[in-house]
Amino acid sequence: MADLSLLREKHIKYIESLDKKKDDYEYWLSEHLRLNGVYWGLTALCIMDAKDAFTKDSVIEFVMSCWDSNRGGFGPFPRHDSHLLTTLSAIQILATYDSLNILEETEKLDKCTEFIIANQLQDGSFQGDRFGEVDTRFVYTALNALSILGKLTPEIVDPAVDFILKCYNFDGGFGLCPGAESHAAQAFTCLGALKIANKLDALTPKQIEETGWWLSERQIPGGGLNGRPSKLPDVCYSWWVLSSLAIIGKLDWIDYEGLRKFILEAQDKIKGGISDRPDNEVDVYHTVFGLAGLSLMGFYNLVPIDPTYCMPLSITKKFKKYPYESNN
Amino acid sequence: MHGVKRKQYSREILKQKHLQDQLKIKTYKELVDKTLDTRDNKIFTSESLGLTSKVLELNPEFNTVWNYRRDIILHLRDTAPTEFWENELQFTMEKLRRFPKVYWIWNHRIWVLNNFPHATTKIWMVELAIVDKLLSMDARNYHGWHYRRLIIKKLETLTDKSMNTEELAYVTTIINKNISNYSAWHQRVQLITNLFEEHELKKEEMKKMVLEEILYITNAIYTDADDQSVWFYTKWFLENEIVRLILTGDEYIKMLEDMNNNIVLINNDDLEFSGTENSWCLKILIVIEDALKSTGHAVEEEHTKEYLKKLIELDPQRTKRYLHLLSK
Repeated sequence: MADLSLLREKHIKYIESLDKKKDDYEYWLSEHLRLNGVYWGLTALCIMDAKDAFTKDSVIEFVMSCWDSNRGGFGPFPRHDSHLLTTLSAIQILATYDSLNILEETEKLDKCTEFIIANQLQDGSFQGDRFGEVDTRFVYTALNALSILGKLTPEIVDPAVDFILKCYNFDGGFGLCPGAESHAAQAFTCLGALKIANKLDALTPKQIEETGWWLSERQIPGGGLNGRPSKLPDVCYSWWVLSSLAIIGKLDWIDYEGLRKFILEAQDKIKGGISDRPDNEVDVYHTVFGLAGLSLMGFYNLVPIDPTYCMPLSITKKFKKYPYESNN
Repeated sequence: MHGVKRKQYSREILKQKHLQDQLKIKTYKELVDKTLDTRDNKIFTSESLGLTSKVLELNPEFNTVWNYRRDIILHLRDTAPTEFWENELQFTMEKLRRFPKVYWIWNHRIWVLNNFPHATTKIWMVELAIVDKLLSMDARNYHGWHYRRLIIKKLETLTDKSMNTEELAYVTTIINKNISNYSAWHQRVQLITNLFEEHELKKEEMKKMVLEEILYITNAIYTDADDQSVWFYTKWFLENEIVRLILTGDEYIKMLEDMNNNIVLINNDDLEFSGTENSWCLKILIVIEDALKSTGHAVEEEHTKEYLKKLIELDPQRTKRYLHLLSK
């Protein structure tokens, strides 16, 4: 393991290969993740400054083919139902290609916005779709998507923030709903939502210190990060934990060097890509979050990533920041 | 992929897999197309329900098909016998056994229970027994604990009777089996908070509970002084408002001092046996010193700075946090 380096070219090749696997049964069994997968792949390429490895026009064409004309919003694959998770991926991909105007041109912008807003519930939370699953993931997803579209309003944001604050736990972490156990991925969604709402100051400095403490304890002796106490480390937490720490300005509360090694050891040296842990099968999800973690820590001159949006900073800096001036 | 070992296939094996895959892909795609066509034709019959069963058998993560299944059930509900609903629960249970971490299946099960006609307490009691069993097999399952809280809430509403005391006994059993079960410690915090906030116990009973809890924690930290689950709980218990309100000022200070002395003893033991101090002991000793100071009680000799300097040596991954605390 002496020679640990980032296998940039191999990772690019791996991501390019993903859409050439239509002869694999697994490709078809994962249709329900396809649009998320495209977002993860595109973002990974952006981080490695290799955006052109995907063909912009065909990606946008695929995104638009996932539009759910019955309910508005985007599904993961043509003919699938829309959901908040995949609607966010669609919007993130279009924003990354500076192509959000296609929504307006095809008269989908209002329907898309309505689809998102219609999933907000009385208590400020969001359901993922009409069948009622509530999770702070969906609050984040909705606020993120609406923020990219520039469609946030106090009527949406204020109750959503109230809901998020109820998910803050005794240990400084956040759960999926009030009363649920802290989980690092939920810390990301809750802090990200507060950041987008410009309401991080709804948490006291003491509360934020506790969050930072709990998050920093996710690093285990080998250098990897876990998502909850006494669980195994996993490369995806390089993103969930680090981005959370970055949002509260405490990125360096873990050891970069140990985490860098852990991520690099999870690379597949032969076919590229990154897995959850060394010697496991790689996938695009762990590949993007491993790379995004390395980018946040400033390694390998990777393209800087926005910890709140998980998109290149060069793109997110164009987003209108809430509260909008014209609202006053 | 999460927890899947990386494999290198020989060319021969790959060739065989591709051949087999072509057949599987053909069957799968034909079935999916037929199911989605049926959906588009708005057919909501037992036959179409059968189609969704077949798809979900092959791919339990196909959210769109779960959605269609629910739409079918809503059409059939008025004529369906109770047996139909029981079969539906059976169907999801088979899937959960094979895929205990798939969100969509959990969602569907909850949806079925919530829509079960004339649902009685008994149905939810059965559900509680099921989740007991699930948690006995996978004691940290995040969905399982979330699901348990949902069931308890439902039962409490149906019977108009709190289950806090029974649930507290349950988490005690779980913790006694494995002291590192953070999910159970988390739940312990929720339950003690509920008991206090819902004024369920008389003042003397609440006090008795707090005093017993001090013994319980003391036992726990002596049992495993390296486990952060116990320490996060201890930290909550020592600082939280409930304990402060129930104990008199003097009792509270005595509790902190006793705990301080015990932790110093544990730390000294560790030093003697392993040659190094215990970083969690030091972290919590700092919390105790803070808590003592917050009572206005004079602390004879302050140790926080000394502990922090030691922590930089003992726990270098979190050096920046300790430097931050030192600078305050």
